[in-house]
Amino acid sequence: MSGPVEGEAVASPAVPAQAPNDPTAPAKTDAKDAKPEGDGASKKMSGAELKKLKQAEKQAKRAQAKAVGPATVQQGGIPKENQKQKEQKQSQKKDESRPLPIRRRPSQSNAVPQQQARKESKRDQKQLGLFFGHLYSQPRQHSMVGASKDVHPAVLALGLQYSSYVICGSTARMVAMLLAFKAVIESYQTPVGTSLARHLTNHHLSPQIDYLRGCRPLSISMGNAIRWLKDLIIKIDPSTPEAEAKRDLVEEIDMFIRERVTAAQKLIRDQAATKILPGDVILTYASSSIVEQTILQAHKAGVPFTVIVVDSKPLFEGKTLARKLANQGINVRYYLITGASHAVKGASKVFLGAHAMMSNGRLYSRVGTALVSMLARSHSLPVIVLCESVKFTEKVALDSIVGNEVAPADEILSEAERASLLPLEPHLPTTHPSKNKNDDKSATEDTKSGPLDVLKWVEGSENLHHLQVLYDVTPAEYINMVITEYGSLPPSSVPVVHRLSTNT
Amino acid sequence: MAQGIAPLAPGLTSFLKSLKTTPADPSVEHLISLLKRRQIRNSRPCAIATTALMLRVVGEFKGRDAAKLVERIRQVGRRLTAAQPREVVVGNIVRRVLGLVREVLDDNTGGDSHAGSDAGHHSPAQHDSMTRPTLSSSISTFSPLRHAAAEPMDASMTSDMSDSSEMSRRPPLLTSHTSYAPTSAAPLVNSLFGLFSQPEDSNASTPTGATSPDGKTANSLNLERLADLSRSTNIDLKSEVMDGIRELQDELEQSDEQIAGVALEHIHSNEIILTHTASTTVQKFLLSAAKKRKFTVVHAETYPHDNTATHGILLTGRKRETRLDEDEDPWKPLTATGIPVYVIPDSHVFAIMSRVNKVILATHTVLANGGLVAAAGAHMIAKAAKEHQTPVVVLSGVYKLSPVYPFDIDELIEYGDAGRVVPYEDGEFVDKVDVEHPLYDYVPADLVNLYITNLGGHAPSYLYRIVADHYRTEDITL
Repeated sequence: MSGPVEGEAVASPAVPAQAPNDPTAPAKTDAKDAKPEGDGASKKMSGAELKKLKQAEKQAKRAQAKAVGPATVQQGGIPKENQKQKEQKQSQKKDESRPLPIRRRPSQSNAVPQQQARKESKRDQKQLGLFFGHLYSQPRQHSMVGASKDVHPAVLALGLQYSSYVICGSTARMVAMLLAFKAVIESYQTPVGTSLARHLTNHHLSPQIDYLRGCRPLSISMGNAIRWLKDLIIKIDPSTPEAEAKRDLVEEIDMFIRERVTAAQKLIRDQAATKILPGDVILTYASSSIVEQTILQAHKAGVPFTVIVVDSKPLFEGKTLARKLANQGINVRYYLITGASHAVKGASKVFLGAHAMMSNGRLYSRVGTALVSMLARSHSLPVIVLCESVKFTEKVALDSIVGNEVAPADEILSEAERASLLPLEPHLPTTHPSKNKNDDKSATEDTKSGPLDVLKWVEGSENLHHLQVLYDVTPAEYINMVITEYGSLPPSSVPVVHRLSTNT
Repeated sequence: MAQGIAPLAPGLTSFLKSLKTTPADPSVEHLISLLKRRQIRNSRPCAIATTALMLRVVGEFKGRDAAKLVERIRQVGRRLTAAQPREVVVGNIVRRVLGLVREVLDDNTGGDSHAGSDAGHHSPAQHDSMTRPTLSSSISTFSPLRHAAAEPMDASMTSDMSDSSEMSRRPPLLTSHTSYAPTSAAPLVNSLFGLFSQPEDSNASTPTGATSPDGKTANSLNLERLADLSRSTNIDLKSEVMDGIRELQDELEQSDEQIAGVALEHIHSNEIILTHTASTTVQKFLLSAAKKRKFTVVHAETYPHDNTATHGILLTGRKRETRLDEDEDPWKPLTATGIPVYVIPDSHVFAIMSRVNKVILATHTVLANGGLVAAAGAHMIAKAAKEHQTPVVVLSGVYKLSPVYPFDIDELIEYGDAGRVVPYEDGEFVDKVDVEHPLYDYVPADLVNLYITNLGGHAPSYLYRIVADHYRTEDITL
């Protein structure tokens, strides 16, 4: 689970799919046996797990979750471990921090849960500043505590993988979701007195989707896939026998993945790889599975070229991409976004992945993409976006502020950065509220302050905010070409292709 | 901190301390090694150290020969700049000190023959400079404003072949300057300064070489003038120059306050201001505006090379490395004055820019063409601001203003430790991938809307004039 299952549409689905394949796991593994595993899981989630949950609400939901307990346990593995968390909450305080896997949220560490929860509510008010206030309305869920009892275990596991960025990337998330839904449909039984077409969409699928949305806002592609799936279910003839209908649905989902993702990606990379000429220097930002495939295909075809990967914190997705490409023997240069203006100088083409293409031709992608394409344009480099048509949306956007996804702000400071800030403590202004707090604590506990205290300084100081979003919108002027499975188009053709792909 | 065994970590403070007791020559070596090891870095510490050293060098200078003093300063300056060419400020300070010496001489010698001509006739000379002679692109530290292109000394020094024709044309003006005065007195004044630089050139004592073929004719004339000069010199050259250097030190100290003084003219209420890096100048500027107005600051953290300092300055209101002003009363962080500060990763600049209505940048060096060298990320911020038609304001002390003309931009860019980008523990990655970590960006002049220096606000196109005010043309090539 901790493996870097990043933007790879093909590889990642395996992860959630595993969960339903394992129903034979004993319903009740002893607590003792599960403990080591459970420890790991609780450690991983502890920082995030209690976020955004008001204390009272949590209590109620927890009781509910307990009731669903047996069903949850069936899946073995992760869900079971979560049950353990409550017992282990006390011992967490003493846990040492462990090295973080690559795609983990960097801020996750061992917080004292109660304190975090309290801080959380205070900070929420604080954050409603600047202009992203509207994005903070929905609290983010980082655990399955409080999940509705209807949520399928495969979906529960998937949700956690979303919220911890284990499965990341628009396509990967969509495929993983569809595979999880396949498991949901397979284990679904229409209650008496309702029809599959009516009950499955509204009453059974909706809670799953709500849960996923709580873990991380749905991606555009996920939205498209959900719309397609609901449409499909509603159109099922009520007279069809349930087993047959379910089998049809599962087949349709497989077909969808094959047509809209696997085949589309093949078409796109075939086409895009021809754009890589000998001697080219391909610049890409962060990590996109389709860009990676394209580059690898061109490399396998024997074209000599080099790659520049520009990356940014906090996810450092580009690092994974750079590593994979370098392992394949491609000459890779790696910059962070601050060096982007230098990186662009040496490049000859820019390949970008997409989270979504907006109907007004704008590209909605990982935050920083707009900067890179702006700089590329100022150097007159061709900017080529690779995007499956399933990521096209009828939505429009003018800027990156109205629609976006906020990431937890404490992720800005990674463990190492917090540690490097620690020596500043004596310089904190004496009026600083957290300074006083720290003094109290140092009286009771040790005088040693951990990296977590740095976060407390930030939270404690009233006017200092950390702000982080995940996406930005690249103006259509910066994009020269969009390559989809329908061919290569200018960004202005996005709405046309979108209509084409949804009407068929 | 660790004051027991090692008195101080080598740096600005330790240098200034040792300077009090050490004679000039070892101090020069000391500073050179500090610069080379990057133990003194960034503009302000470099400027302070150089000024202090210059004070020492001039203080220890024996004799009254102005030419020798100039040569001594130049020699020190050449070594310092060679030690760390990218800290342009070092060269700037040396040039300023040279300018001081020349000014003192100027006041004392120019006074009898053509009183007041200096101030009065300077400006026409600069107008001449509008018509620039063809620049030889091979010399990257060439002056953009060769307003004294006519002067033989300078021409021979820079060994520009295109000037040799002028050389042959010029000598008459030296012998009969009274007759030449109506057209322009300024070349005359300038050529007077050239006196002191010329002899060394023909001596071939300068490693920068530039022994010109026409050196001889000019040289004989110069010697004549020099003899003239030494007869009339009754001035306390040294003390006047030292006073000047002390003034320069005051300027360094006060420039932040002076810049901050105009803050209210540039920041109105409820603005959203974007800035980056931990810059004392910018923080003081914003703090001074915060006394009267409410606004919002969005701060890009400048990962990976300056993020610690950035977070530090926002949390505590001071940079960690500025141990120097330990005694100075610490100023409060911006947040303590009720200004909301939002820290964003650098990748968010474009996303946020549509709501930002002013960008304030700190700088490392300002170049004579109006461009600047600033912490990496500055270029994309300025570019994004341009795309959104957001005004970009650059704050810089005059001491950062350099006469260097950026012919080769890459020369000015320093690359930092790649381990800050990808830790060396990740050996496999570091092995296979070229990790690059540029520390500075060059921001072209057309992306900047306004410069605010301690002299006030200027358009980027006007900076050449401030350069002309502060540096003598003959000093531009050290």
